Amino acid sequence: MVDERPVLQLTTYWFPTQDSGERSFLMKLEFSLNHPHSGDKPSLAEVACSTGSANQAMDLLPSIIPKKTKRIMRRLLQPWPKDRYTQAYNCSGGILNLFTPPWGEKQDEVWARMVAEWQAKSFPDEQVRQAALRALEQRWNTTPHPFFAGLTPAQVMVGGGPREEELADEFLERLDEMFKEYHFESEGDALIKTVLLLRGWQCQPQRDGQTIAQIIVAERDELLARRAQALA
Amino acid sequence: MSRKSKKRPRRRGARPRRRPSPTSSAFDYQWVIDQADKVLAENDIKFAADNWQQVALDWFTANERDRNELARFMATYEGRLGVTWARDLLRLEVFFRVNDHTAIITHYDRTMARYPRSPLVEMWVAEQIARHGGDWWRARPMLLHVVEQLPNHARPRYELGFMHYLLGDFTGALPWFDEAAVQLTDDEDDIGARVLYNRSLVRYALDGDRKTAIADVKAALRLKPDYPQARESLRALRGRGRWVPW
Repeated sequence: MVDERPVLQLTTYWFPTQDSGERSFLMKLEFSLNHPHSGDKPSLAEVACSTGSANQAMDLLPSIIPKKTKRIMRRLLQPWPKDRYTQAYNCSGGILNLFTPPWGEKQDEVWARMVAEWQAKSFPDEQVRQAALRALEQRWNTTPHPFFAGLTPAQVMVGGGPREEELADEFLERLDEMFKEYHFESEGDALIKTVLLLRGWQCQPQRDGQTIAQIIVAERDELLARRAQALA
Repeated sequence: MSRKSKKRPRRRGARPRRRPSPTSSAFDYQWVIDQADKVLAENDIKFAADNWQQVALDWFTANERDRNELARFMATYEGRLGVTWARDLLRLEVFFRVNDHTAIITHYDRTMARYPRSPLVEMWVAEQIARHGGDWWRARPMLLHVVEQLPNHARPRYELGFMHYLLGDFTGALPWFDEAAVQLTDDEDDIGARVLYNRSLVRYALDGDRKTAIADVKAALRLKPDYPQARESLRALRGRGRWVPW
């Protein structure tokens, strides 16, 4: 008989900055929400999606999980807004965005440009003007964002899946081996050396010819499609 | 990355000295200022109302284009600059020469930021803020400002391209590297090699054109033969190595 009780695993990794270390925890939580709950049952994210609230999915979590972690998971499981996915600024963005220093609406030049264009345009009435803004928000949600390493805010919101988790672990293990004893000139130097490695790694073709970045994007698209199915 | 032209003579005393209380992580700003002043005194730098512009020009840069820019800046803001500013500028210069990132950023924040914005100073400091402070989001608007103010400089354009590359935005990086390549001058071999090398990586990531990428990396190596990353990439592009060391 197979023991299916939760197993506690401890892993230590080296990170160039405190922000990235903290974000890696969030990334892990995002991965866990997209894991099939057990066997081929729906993931917690799919349960939350199909029931329209986080409650049922939260009930499936083992009681051992700390309250603080549960709070974060509940936040991640909330239904998505109908307007702009501003929550994407607070998601990890997965391994491709793990080390990017934190940023938000203030730094979002893409959204600022879109709004400026909208403001400069004239509309026949307020209703049309607001409809144009809503369309703009949807466009932002689904357009690859340069500051999200080319992921769309929707791809960021959905989190990573099991394949990305494997790849992220592989990268973080190598990073740890390479850099934990390395002497850096500064924290910024550590960050840049790490990110240079990441950008080289993400372009590496795998056995099927796809690069790591392409595999990650494809999996996130698949998760978005499953989410849409669960919502239907 | 070296900030200065290789033709530039080394000044006496511009070596880092051990800070007091090396076990303390607190940064002693006054101590580094005193050290900088000692270096300036050892080099017989004397600031006066009738020479501060010349002293600043002689010490801050050897590059003709940068000297012209600094002269233009000093002429524009003459009334708001002066001996104190020139001393602060040269203290900053001492921190650059000893490669003290913390001193550079702290001195800029505490002192230089009080004066009118010099695009030349911001160009050098923004690079430090991004590369050593790790604060890309603070460096970015500074660099965008510098690009507007210095239309003929390759460096800020290269830094912006590099930032886009780090962000994983290869498409956004390419036009900055292209612009930087156009602005390169004959005395910018080091930065030129970096521009060409990074552009080759970005182009290859975007279109997979191995031949062009190899030509770009070779061009980078002609400018800077001692460039290990470029050599490694050339091997990888020729199919005899990997992009990452595993």
